Amino acid sequence: MNLVLFLLSGVFLPLFPLSWLFNRLVASAPGGWAKALSILVLPQLGVLLLWASGPWFSGISNPWHGLVAALALCTAILYAFRAISVREITIWARFMATSGLALAWLQVLAGVSVAQVQLSLLAWSIPGALLCLWAGELARRMGGAYIGLSGGVARVLPRLSALLATGALAATATPVFPGFFALLKTMGTLPAGWILFLLPVLFLWGWSIGRFLQDLLFGVYRGTAVEDLGTAGTWAGALVLVVFAITGLFFWGATWTVS
Amino acid sequence: MSGNPMDVLAVAIPFLPVLSAVVIFLFARHRRSASARTSVGVTFLVFVLALAELGGYLVSGTPQDVTIGVDWGSLWIDPLSLIMWAFVSGISLLVHIYSVRYMVEEPGYPRFFALLDLMTATILFMVSAADLLTLLAAWFLVGVLLYFLLGHDTDRPAAGRYAFWTQITYRFGDLPLWMAAALLGETYHSLSLPVIFSRIQMAPAVHTLWGIPVLEVVGFLVALAAFARSAQFLLHGWLPYTMDGPTPVSALMHAGIVNAGGFLFNRFAPVFEHAGDVLHLAFLVGLVTAITGSALMLIQNDVKRSLGYSTMGQMGFMVMECGVGAFPLAVFHLIAHGFFKASLFLSAGNVIGDARRQDGVPADPVYTSVVERRPRRPSRLPWMVAAALTILVPITVLALSHFFVAAHAFYEQGVLILLFFGWVTGAQALFAAHKMTRTNPWRLMGGILVSFVLIVVGYTLISHYFGNFLYPGGRGERLYKAASLGSFPFAALMLVLALLFVGGWALTFFADTLDLWGSLGARWRGTYLVLYASLSRELYINDLYARLSQILISASRRLNIWLRWC
Repeated sequence: MNLVLFLLSGVFLPLFPLSWLFNRLVASAPGGWAKALSILVLPQLGVLLLWASGPWFSGISNPWHGLVAALALCTAILYAFRAISVREITIWARFMATSGLALAWLQVLAGVSVAQVQLSLLAWSIPGALLCLWAGELARRMGGAYIGLSGGVARVLPRLSALLATGALAATATPVFPGFFALLKTMGTLPAGWILFLLPVLFLWGWSIGRFLQDLLFGVYRGTAVEDLGTAGTWAGALVLVVFAITGLFFWGATWTVS
Repeated sequence: MSGNPMDVLAVAIPFLPVLSAVVIFLFARHRRSASARTSVGVTFLVFVLALAELGGYLVSGTPQDVTIGVDWGSLWIDPLSLIMWAFVSGISLLVHIYSVRYMVEEPGYPRFFALLDLMTATILFMVSAADLLTLLAAWFLVGVLLYFLLGHDTDRPAAGRYAFWTQITYRFGDLPLWMAAALLGETYHSLSLPVIFSRIQMAPAVHTLWGIPVLEVVGFLVALAAFARSAQFLLHGWLPYTMDGPTPVSALMHAGIVNAGGFLFNRFAPVFEHAGDVLHLAFLVGLVTAITGSALMLIQNDVKRSLGYSTMGQMGFMVMECGVGAFPLAVFHLIAHGFFKASLFLSAGNVIGDARRQDGVPADPVYTSVVERRPRRPSRLPWMVAAALTILVPITVLALSHFFVAAHAFYEQGVLILLFFGWVTGAQALFAAHKMTRTNPWRLMGGILVSFVLIVVGYTLISHYFGNFLYPGGRGERLYKAASLGSFPFAALMLVLALLFVGGWALTFFADTLDLWGSLGARWRGTYLVLYASLSRELYINDLYARLSQILISASRRLNIWLRWC
């Protein structure tokens, strides 16, 4: 039974190859809201299942810990690497979230408390969920959430593009968003030798966000005229991002990482 | 934080530009003139406050640690921070004022000023960070903000492409700094830089990692981060292409941001005191960068691209200075180069405009006598006199100026190497003067000699007093010692360099009389063409990176298809 719970937690708290199922589940959710909700809820469920399988998990020997940690790092690297060639925003958000969420396993293995792991998951889930929502808005206006096909989306949809760009930055551990501090926290749990394998994740995220922004912002738009996001929607999105950043700065950064 | 008014001012300095950016975003994002006025006004205030803080320190002479309430986000108000604050806010003010009119017809005018303010704030935080987290966050954010500043004109895909090159190189350079921060935190059990540095001083050789002293590993990682930020060889491909951004951003980039490598060396000076091998590596990398940057600069036919490669060469010299242990000189260099390069960039447009009207190319003596048929009596100094002046005057002036300032400095290898380079540079200037034909060659040579003496004496005095300001209590000498080589390799290095330079002079002196270019040119023409083609393609380094990234993206795409995008 515990093994079943452990495997299920590997699906929801994505760990390759079970992460494939996590992505399949999120992809099959209908609409932006459902996708966003699944990115937020499934990893939390994964942590709870993992803790429910606690006696089995804490009973395994250290070599298995090393194996799971290596698999978590490989999952993070794999999905970050796969994200560099993605141009559809929902898929990009899924891959980036999977890459970040996999790192939570390293905190679990280091004995970080459940509450802190759950907070850490939010650092990756929230930007992924927001991107899924805004990708839905983009798809409603342009028929698809593909960037780089028409180019110059920022000129015709400045508000939505600003939210997408900022959300993408939050998803790639940019200071002052919580992802930056969650990554530092993860780094703090690793021995020096293991950090060398975490750094490629950071590099691939940097590459991925560079390509994302290049496709989203630059070029001359040649499609039909589209209406931008409304003022209320823009302010609501901006408010969520600002609160998220302030929480990162003063909560994650000030107390959590330093402790 | 104490209630001392100077402390309050110190905390206000990096926060004021953030406040300006927020005000522009909330209240002036559709009001172009108000956004520019707010931004320039606040930057001016920051500059005045930075000067006041620097003046306050010069009067009191005591450094202070100012912490903003929490365990991270702390500021270290030491001489290095104060001098960097004054420099950064000064350059930023120039760029702000220039941008008011230069960018006035551009879309996103208020956004540009808000981003400039955020960039200024981030650099101010970076240079004064007292803990590893703040330093890391600010170091990281500079790359992100620079991306948006360079890519301000979103209609041009090229702007996005080159902004991406900069961003990805910066991200590559961020990685070693993350690793260094993790190692320092783990080894010294603190995130505070003053605490870590004091623990290093107490027990420098205690800790090892994989059998190597931790400080050597940390020094190497910090140097790598500095190499990427300061466009050292193999990590330089992005620098000349930042010209595709707006000119004020190019100025800020080349005058300020690219100098961050020199700052990082100085910030981690206590680590480098125990990482001599890394300093030797820095000298080598700086030397290769200086030569490559200068060579690439010489073959450019675009003014701004040429300035870009000139920056690369200067960054090479700056890193070389760190490599020989002359850390304060690197700070002086980055400040002098910053103001000098900012003025060049900001006046580049005028120069190009003037050149279109009047090329300003001086009359060639051959053209004057053959085409214009104006009789001339060109004359030069006798070459023996010129050679003696070329060799003796620079070394005499340099030696005397150093002798009067600090005689003991002659015992430092780093000083000797700098003297050597000063000698070579001075000799080159005199040699170039000798080659010019003038009706009164003594007058020309006299003018060059007087200028040379003034520059050398000024530079020596400034570097000495600047060194005492940044590194009081003999810390500067410890850095020179760390950079020292064994006596045999040092002597061999000096000999090889001397032979190379003397050989170069001799070749140039006798080239015309012995028709060396004619005979050598025929034999080495193929090599010359290959070299020229390689340089004109910037040594194919960017092509190599582009090909590599294409291969990786293609592999990523195939993997996604194979895994059905899940």
